[in-house]
Amino acid sequence: MKKLLVLILVLALAFVVIACDNDNGNGDGEITGSVEDGGTITVWCWDPAFNIFAMDQAAIIYQAINPNFEIEIIETPWEQVDEQITTFATAGTLDLLPDIMLVQDQAFQLNVMNFPEVFLDLTDSGINFSEFGAAKTSLSTVNGRNYGVPFDNGVTIMGLRTDVIGQAGLTIDDFTSVTWNDFITLGQQVLEATGRPMLATTAGGADYVDFMIKSAGVSMFNADGSPNLDNNPTLREAIAIYVELVQTGVLVEVDGWDAFIGSFVNDVVAGTIAGCWILGSIQQNPDHEGLWAVTNVPRLNVAGGTNFSSWGGSSWAVTTNANAALAIDFLKHTFAGSVELYDILLPEAGALATWIPAAASTVYQEEHTFFGGQRVAADIINFSANIPTFYFGIFHYEGISALEVAITNILNGADIDAELQAAQEFIEFQMRG
Amino acid sequence: MKNSAEPSGSTLIKKSGLSLSQKQGLTGWAFLFLAAGLIVLMNFYPMVRGFMMSLQTGVGANMQFSGFVNYTRLFEDPRFRQTLINTFIYLLVQVPIMLILGLILATMLNSRNLKAKGFFRTAIFLPCAVGLVAYSLVFRQMFAFDGLVNTVLVNIGILETGHNWLGTPWSARLVIILGLLWRWTGFNMIFYLAGIQNVDTSIYEAARIDGANVFHQFWKITIPLLRPIILLTAIMSTNGTLQLFDESFNLTQGGPGVSSMTMSHYIFDTAFAGNPMLGYASAMSFAILLMVALLAFLQLKVGDRR
Repeated sequence: MKKLLVLILVLALAFVVIACDNDNGNGDGEITGSVEDGGTITVWCWDPAFNIFAMDQAAIIYQAINPNFEIEIIETPWEQVDEQITTFATAGTLDLLPDIMLVQDQAFQLNVMNFPEVFLDLTDSGINFSEFGAAKTSLSTVNGRNYGVPFDNGVTIMGLRTDVIGQAGLTIDDFTSVTWNDFITLGQQVLEATGRPMLATTAGGADYVDFMIKSAGVSMFNADGSPNLDNNPTLREAIAIYVELVQTGVLVEVDGWDAFIGSFVNDVVAGTIAGCWILGSIQQNPDHEGLWAVTNVPRLNVAGGTNFSSWGGSSWAVTTNANAALAIDFLKHTFAGSVELYDILLPEAGALATWIPAAASTVYQEEHTFFGGQRVAADIINFSANIPTFYFGIFHYEGISALEVAITNILNGADIDAELQAAQEFIEFQMRG
Repeated sequence: MKNSAEPSGSTLIKKSGLSLSQKQGLTGWAFLFLAAGLIVLMNFYPMVRGFMMSLQTGVGANMQFSGFVNYTRLFEDPRFRQTLINTFIYLLVQVPIMLILGLILATMLNSRNLKAKGFFRTAIFLPCAVGLVAYSLVFRQMFAFDGLVNTVLVNIGILETGHNWLGTPWSARLVIILGLLWRWTGFNMIFYLAGIQNVDTSIYEAARIDGANVFHQFWKITIPLLRPIILLTAIMSTNGTLQLFDESFNLTQGGPGVSSMTMSHYIFDTAFAGNPMLGYASAMSFAILLMVALLAFLQLKVGDRR
């Protein structure tokens, strides 16, 4: 009898709790708040040497216009931003979101589509999106509506130590506009002469294969969103090249991001390939002054192969929990309207503007002493103009994850076609929802 | 519920209409209600909601009711199978080794001839006071390509060149197993030690007089008398291993590929990375719950002979 009573009580309590829980917290996308009152804008972004530095500089510039403005930057790695969007949106606790957050371009559309209640529609906010590169803006546009203020474009660059390759009798020109097969041959010469691999990357990652196929304008997905891994000669070639890079020792796999940065800062390898934001990290070691040079990346020997690619940039999103008027005004006067800001960001952090008016600035033509007097910014702008357009697809993350498994297995001796077949099946399985 | 016998003079204190035992009973229920309410709110309610979610499919916040689709999906998912195999490798290799090591250590620490017992007990127990993330990161550093382990092994000549511990599937799993052993052996040992100390020393004395050696004493006295505690630790370890997350997430990051990823790590990935699929993730959580319950039931059947 008593047990029954307890059971009834527990069930009653459970239903009371369930009944009390009627979901709300649905942002209607209206722009609220006022600019003049000022206030504090909270920002989630990552990388103190790059994004956080940029936000800090932007805040200084905007404070000159609006003295009542305060900024609070919370260092949040991208993975955490991604998790928190999911958590807060599904739990209905949108009030825990910041005003502005940085979102990776590869995940921008999927997050807007999955959680439309999180992102503020900026189309009619007064920000002039036509002043940004169209290819970049398209990455944060969903159904013709703008949800992001484009930031860096993450053009892929190859930085090399001219002194190290010089020991093998090579110059930066020998590595410019080459194919991957040429690069492997040259890399073996450098490895023989100096004992140093050319490049390092994080073990088990698919970053290299990802930017290689992008350099040929090829995606893991067809235009209709269906996966295209098992019948994709460019992808197959990219994986074969990657395996060869690892097996010849020209590329060394390291554990994690810190080891990757350490590989070129601490003289382990002769160079690096990454997004142009890596320029900040390259300049960490003052002993390397004048020893670096920047060039384009090797190309795949396939139809449409180019020496230009993107590592994936990011864009600023305003949340539905924002002091919207202030947040938008802030972005409008900084990332979408301040040549002065980009003039600081480019030399200091290597942040290349996708805001077209900034490219006319004289700073972009200056010679860079760390890179032996090279006009690095102008060169990078030339690279970025040549990047083929590509399509991420909504299941980009799952695609990368499937590639990582395939690459790991192939490096351990599995058959490349069987692994790509398995990767294809994995994504098809994931897409069933 | 055991009804306590009413005191013989209870008829004298019938002022409020409640007997003393009824009053005590009510007080007890009042205390219980608070705790029970919290458990319902914090545990059962999320479980009910989780179960309801596991019956829905969809990406992000766009979910529709779809019955048991997520559960049938489990049987077709190659990655779930892989993580299930990984988890059972950890379970079948690590738990027996850990429990046997724990038993041996407890017996040794209980020896009367041992000096500085307190020091050894603390030293062996200490790993489980270390933060999960902290120890995972230290292991990660130690087993890095240019880390301590490779340096030592190369210098003493066991390895020619360093081994990429975390970059090769089997050695990555081995590193996780080593990490688990290091962290949890001491924890289980403490249970055994407490159990052994409750065993009357005269039993061992009698056995010694009858000519039993140390091995016999361990096998014929310690193990049978510790049976309930061994059962408890086995169930706790099974439960813990099936829900293993931190080591997979921090130490190997599931890699290389997904070759060392545990089920819980895969659930986390499904729920929070890429296209969040909370329904499917909830279904996987309930699958783990079922497995834990089933294994605990089996262990009780085999181990409990009271």
